[in-house]
Amino acid sequence: MLRFVGRRALYAIPLLFAIVVLMFSMLHLIPGDPVQALVGDYPVPPAYRAAIEEKYRLNDPFLVQVSNYLVNIAQGDFGFSYQNQRAVLDLILERAPRTILLASVSFGLAIPLGMLIGILTGTTRRPGVDKFWTTTALIAYAIPTFWLGQLFVMFFALRLGWFPTQGIGPLVSRAQGFAWLMEKLRYLALPVLAFGIHEGMRIARIMRASVVDTLSQGYIITARAKGLSRGQIIRGHVLRNSSLPLVTIAGYAFGSALGGAVLLETVFTWPGLGLLLVDSIRLRDNMTVVGVVIFSAVAVVVMNLVVDLLYAALDPRIRTMG
Amino acid sequence: MGNSNTAAAPAPAAVNSDRGWRALFAQLLRTRHGSLGAGILIVMALVALMAGMIAPFDPLQQTQTSLSPPTAEYLFGTDNIGRDVFSQVVYGARSSLFVGLGAALAALLVGGTIGILAGYFQGPVEAVLMRVVELFQTLPVIILVLCAVALFGSNFWLLIAAVALAIWPMEARLVYGQYIKLRDREFIAAARVADLSTAHIMFREILPNAIQPVIVQVALDASIAILIEAGLGFLGLSDPDMVSWGRLLFVAQDYMDSAWWMSLFPGAAICLAVVGLNLFADGLNEVIDPRSGGATGGLQ
Repeated sequence: MLRFVGRRALYAIPLLFAIVVLMFSMLHLIPGDPVQALVGDYPVPPAYRAAIEEKYRLNDPFLVQVSNYLVNIAQGDFGFSYQNQRAVLDLILERAPRTILLASVSFGLAIPLGMLIGILTGTTRRPGVDKFWTTTALIAYAIPTFWLGQLFVMFFALRLGWFPTQGIGPLVSRAQGFAWLMEKLRYLALPVLAFGIHEGMRIARIMRASVVDTLSQGYIITARAKGLSRGQIIRGHVLRNSSLPLVTIAGYAFGSALGGAVLLETVFTWPGLGLLLVDSIRLRDNMTVVGVVIFSAVAVVVMNLVVDLLYAALDPRIRTMG
Repeated sequence: MGNSNTAAAPAPAAVNSDRGWRALFAQLLRTRHGSLGAGILIVMALVALMAGMIAPFDPLQQTQTSLSPPTAEYLFGTDNIGRDVFSQVVYGARSSLFVGLGAALAALLVGGTIGILAGYFQGPVEAVLMRVVELFQTLPVIILVLCAVALFGSNFWLLIAAVALAIWPMEARLVYGQYIKLRDREFIAAARVADLSTAHIMFREILPNAIQPVIVQVALDASIAILIEAGLGFLGLSDPDMVSWGRLLFVAQDYMDSAWWMSLFPGAAICLAVVGLNLFADGLNEVIDPRSGGATGGLQ
């Protein structure tokens, strides 16, 4: 088991390396001028340009820049954001917990919801129930999360006034303990609802297909022949065997979400990694862009590793193969 | 996916003649999902093609009243500078459908080629190509597209290329899976013995047998492409000279407190297009693989 983990982890290193090089190469192809972007719509004094280029080593050959960057990353230095006048790593560490909070709570809602609907629709004897949820899932999955977010803001926040329209909390907060938690939850509610419904319906679709597939297996017939009850079969055989594809897909989706739910964070002005990325792209703050992309790639790679491990834990056949 | 199938089943009848396609479409229209999906798509395509006749106003023309709620004259209301939202939604169909279809086809071309090469040739070619596919699958899709558009600009064709960049790995994986499943089958061995050229085996023997699930995937890809295009528009990164549904939502974001109609109608249009494509794909799947389709499982 330990060897299995080690091999998968080793496998991730060249992947991350390739991502860094790819991102760096892409950034080198941009037509824009970072020094100009820093100054804004004014002419750049030559002396100032020289100083900036010297300071950030913008004139080094491409390969030297890449290798310097790789060495720096290995030492935990992701460069300096000249737009924010802060180290990129600081920015990411400040923003990441907010995105992780949003993603975790959303998936905490989406996974049980999706599994429940998937099992219900996959095992139900009444075609009406199945049809209702399958149609709901189809439509809900087609709704872009950011549009759902807009609708929620317009209805629940602006019309009914139940929730704040944006942000992660009031500018000044004196709430403590339980009141503080409730305050946080009010800000979380709408983005989590929009995100959770979308992901939940996707999970429901996968779960339903998987449950239907599981039900056609021989061991279900055996279980029924043994006289097990409906509930026993679902709990003992269907649930676990149908969850395997779910683990892969939900794991990947969660990994991507950790890298910033770009669109959702924009709707709700949720100051996480996604919003940081969008802002940095607009401001041509390249170091920050690369930093955030690398962070999201790491999140996905780590989540894929976790998925592999979960898979091995759920399905013993995989362990023995590896 | 990794195991090769050496079962000695005969090669399934391939849909490669013109009549085969027509029969397939007729069958598709007999499924409930397929007919509904095809209906939605045909109506949308007609709206996009005849936008000039359907839209009462020029989508960029400013009318007398700004921020008018829906009325008999302005069916979907007007936006902040008085443009008719209905006309904008009608014209927006062009951009969304075109990007959706274009990106899906581009992804099919790139992903399909790579999938065929990786699936047919074993050894180093396979290993290298599949590592590249994996690399692109590791990067979160929207971030990838976002960077590409931000870096290379939002010209219409670049937009299609960027969206295709995000979806081609799925296509590559699917085609690859089909090819490794088929490459060891007996009819392929027979073709090798008959000394047919590699190209002939790849395109005339395997391709017709591999293509059906790929078509379903193209329809699904198009729906994902429409969602990605809408997302880019919503971030203000789409071509500013084109009316697109996502861009309408980008403008609507600033008027959520005063003009719900600016957000409601373009968003509903996106949903309808995506639902149409998904139903169409469901129907196709049902026709191609009757076991999968609308079959209700049910634990008795």
